[in-house]
This record gives sequence, structure tokens and C-alpha cells, in this order.
Amino acid sequence: MNSQVDEARAQDLERRIRAYEELERRAHWPGALSARDVVALSLLTLVMVAGAYLLGGQP
Amino acid sequence: MNASREQEFRLSAERGDTPLLPSERVWGFWGFAYANSALAVATWVFLIGGATALFVGPLQGISAIIIGNIIGVILAASSTCLPCGKYGVEQFTFLRSMFGINGSRLVYILSVVVLTMGWLAVLGLMCGRALDNLETLVQQQPPAADDWLVPAGALLAIVLAALVAMRGPDMIRRLSAVIAPSLILIMLALMYFISQRFSLSELLAMPPLQPPFADQRINYMIAVEINIAAGFSWWPYIGNLSRLCSNQRTAFWPNLVGVFGAASLGEIVSLFAASTLGSSDPTAWMRLAGGVGFGVVALSFLALANLTGMVNILYTAVIGLRQLAGERLRSVRWGVLIALFCVIPIGIVLCFPGIYDGFFIFLVWTSALNSALAGIGIADYFFLRQQRLNLRHLYAAQADSPLRFCKGFNPIALLALVAGFAIYVVVFNPQTLANTTFFTFATASLPSCLLAGLVHYVLTRVLATRLGWGSYPAGNERNIEAAGLSAKD
Repeated sequence: MNSQVDEARAQDLERRIRAYEELERRAHWPGALSARDVVALSLLTLVMVAGAYLLGGQP
Repeated sequence: MNASREQEFRLSAERGDTPLLPSERVWGFWGFAYANSALAVATWVFLIGGATALFVGPLQGISAIIIGNIIGVILAASSTCLPCGKYGVEQFTFLRSMFGINGSRLVYILSVVVLTMGWLAVLGLMCGRALDNLETLVQQQPPAADDWLVPAGALLAIVLAALVAMRGPDMIRRLSAVIAPSLILIMLALMYFISQRFSLSELLAMPPLQPPFADQRINYMIAVEINIAAGFSWWPYIGNLSRLCSNQRTAFWPNLVGVFGAASLGEIVSLFAASTLGSSDPTAWMRLAGGVGFGVVALSFLALANLTGMVNILYTAVIGLRQLAGERLRSVRWGVLIALFCVIPIGIVLCFPGIYDGFFIFLVWTSALNSALAGIGIADYFFLRQQRLNLRHLYAAQADSPLRFCKGFNPIALLALVAGFAIYVVVFNPQTLANTTFFTFATASLPSCLLAGLVHYVLTRVLATRLGWGSYPAGNERNIEAAGLSAKD
């Protein structure tokens, strides 16, 4: 009985891993962080850090 | 496959045993942003805002809160949410790729178990202080610092948290649903009382409560460091939340709404409250801010909110511990495990009650670890593995996996962790606040993150390939075959 359950679990894990391997083979991963996200994040961080420093960072 | 079996496997994936498929994930952008905000707006924002007020006034404090939190949150989220959000893997399973199977267990104990025990003691003591202030308020007596009610209340809170955690997740969900909105109401009320007494210019000109150094640059940088530590303190938790998000972008951006935006706003309100009411202790603000009526309601909610926070972190930590520790620990009864977990926090409450007032010291110590962990995560996932994980390796038994490294531990990552931790303490000692000139312009977390990442990257490139550890792709390989990802036929 236990070995049947273990086998079913192993099959389920295999199914999940295969699903990701299929995604990996595609040229575009759906919803992946893009270069545009990275640029936006860098700009946001820069504005926040520089703005906050100018606001109160100079003693 | 029948429906009940399918449901069982899905639950198992939700608990972290297997990767969650994109179709099984429950949160979109706003769903995660709400959950994230509810997690962020807890009693710890009061403590962090109050600690910031010790070192700097409100204007510098706002600056420190924004800079510290955005740096901490972005680095913590990049190293955890992006890989876990992409592959739907449990965070400490993902960590096997850099620390090995046993190494990830060690990291869990260092980052989650120790952190949770410390937080249980701090939040328990806050509950005790809330009860003590409630008594002071009701009986209209001056507060007594050495009151027996504080440790007794803290112990009671830990025991209650343990009892609720033993009851399971349903009770936790019901309690959590009311806490974040209640705390937002308390913050709004605090802001109202403060704005009735002070103009904005008066508010911003308030002095710091207890600046330890004459040099304001050092005090400011300590305030920034406390807030970076606050951002990094999400490292052990957010990866496992982000795997429930529909995709990688959804797993990342809401962190800037919740654990950055909502937490920063809460900390700024707390900073104002601490600066104007002359205390870094949130329980004292509730007593002083708005009279007996507000005080009784706010302190009662604060005690309840602490209790809920304690139950949440206790439950999550023990679930994870069971998951990672193997069969021996899984056979111990749930209630016994919860009770054993609470022994050390109770010891801390009894032997080191000063952890509450020096709470920021504890927080900054955790950053010495979390910043190095984030640096190693970024170096490994982005630069060494080029954002590709081999799930077969992650879920293989230790004996069959290239991630067995050396007896299940990756010595390179552990050495990088020690290097990052060491540089942190050399640049800035959280216990004594002793610091170097370097600290006043570079912080301690950033050098720690950078050095840990660099050591991990260089030693992996030099040694791991030769020793056959970790199945890292060679320098310029970006194709699927290099990462060993082709499906079995």
C-alpha cells in the first residue's frame, strides 16, 4: 500500500517537474521579470534613496 | 488520477513538498499586496519606528526609514521571491541549490528558529508591557518599571500563543483577519492626537530621544542600518509567500506595496509618536496619547495583535522545522513540539527582559545573517546558475543529487556566510554600536551582502567545478542542456 502511495507521489512530482521543463524550453517564460522591470526597479530605488537622502540624510 | 488524490497532491504542493504549478497558485498582484501589507502592519512596525526615534529626529528618521527599507526589501525579495515565484518551490528547498540539503536545514535553524524565538520573547514582553500600562491607566498610578506584571504578562502571552498554535491554522486565520485593520485604525488615531498638539514644522524639528554619538552622521547611519535590518528581516518568510503568486512579476512587485510601503508608513507614524511622546516604547504611547478611553482600547488591541503575531510566527516556524527535520521530529506530537519550542523564549523573558528595550540590537544582529544570506542567494541564482534551477536535483534524495556537496553541506556557501557575518561585525558591532568610518557611508549590511556574494561566486567558480559540486553551468553556458533540464524520455 505504502509503495503504491509513494509511487503515485513520485509520479506527481515528475509531472510537476516536467511542466517546468516545458516552460524552460519556451523562448519566453510567462510573467517573468523583464529588462523593463529591472530598469523601473533601478530607477525607483535611485529616486527613493536619493530623494530620501536629500530630504533628511544630511546632518 | 481520482479527484481526492489530486486534491491531496495539491495540498502537499501547497505545504512545500513539491513545486506548485502556475495554475495552482492563488494570489494575483492585489491579493499578494494585501496579504503582504497585512503581514507588514503588525506590532513590529511600532517597535522599529520607536527604535529609529532613539537615534534621529523625525526628518532624518523618515529618510532613514525609506532608504533602509527599500534597500533591505529589494535585496531580500530578489534573492528569494524571484526564484521561488518562478519555480513555485519552497524557499528552503530552493536553498538546497546553494547550501546543500543539510546546509539548508542549518540555515533554517539559524534564520527562522533563532529569529522566531527572539521575536516570541520581544512580542511577549510587549504584551506584558501593554498589560502593565493598562493597569497603570485604569488604576491611575505612576508606572512602575520593575513591575511583576511585565514578565508575568509575557509568560502568559507565550503560553496562550502556544495553546492557540496547537489548535491549528483555522483559529490563526480568524484572529489575523481583524488585526491589521485594527492596527491601522490605532495608527490613524495616533496621528490625529499628534496633529492636534503639534504643527508639521514642530513635528519635524523634534530632537532624537537618546542619540548615543555626538556625530549625527553615525546616529543617522545606525537608524538606516536598523531599517535595512527591518527590510532584511523578511528574508526567511517572503520566499514561501511568493511561491503562491501567479508568476514571477506578481511575486516581486507587491513587496514594494506591503513590506516596503505599508511598513514604512507604519514606522513613520510610530517615529512621530515616539518623538512627540518622549518614549520608544509603543505601550507607553497608547497610555499617553489620547486619554483613558483610547488608552484602554489601544492597549487591549496591542496585546491581542502581539498575541496574533506570536501565534503566526510560532506556527510557521514549527511547521517548517517539522518539514525539514525528517522522520524523527515528525513523530513527536504537535503539541509537544510547540511546547518545546517555547522553552527558550520563556528563558529569554525570565533571564534577559532587557531584550525588549534593546530590541533594535536583536534586530540588527539578525541583519548580519540575513544580509549575507541575501548576497549568497543573489550570487548563486543570478550569476552562477543564470536564473535556471534544476528541479530534479532539488527534489532528488541526497545520495543521488549533485546538491549533496560535502555530506549535505556546501562548505563554500557556509564560508561565504561566515565571511559576510564577520565583515558586518567588524564594520558595525550591533552589541556595542562600535563602528568604523567605512560604516558611515557604506552601512554594514551592504558590505556584508556584497562580500558574502563575492566569496561564494569566486570560490564556486574556482573550486566547485573541479570538485564536481552543485552541478553549476560552466561560464558562458546558458542553454537548457547545460543546466541538465531536458525532460526524461
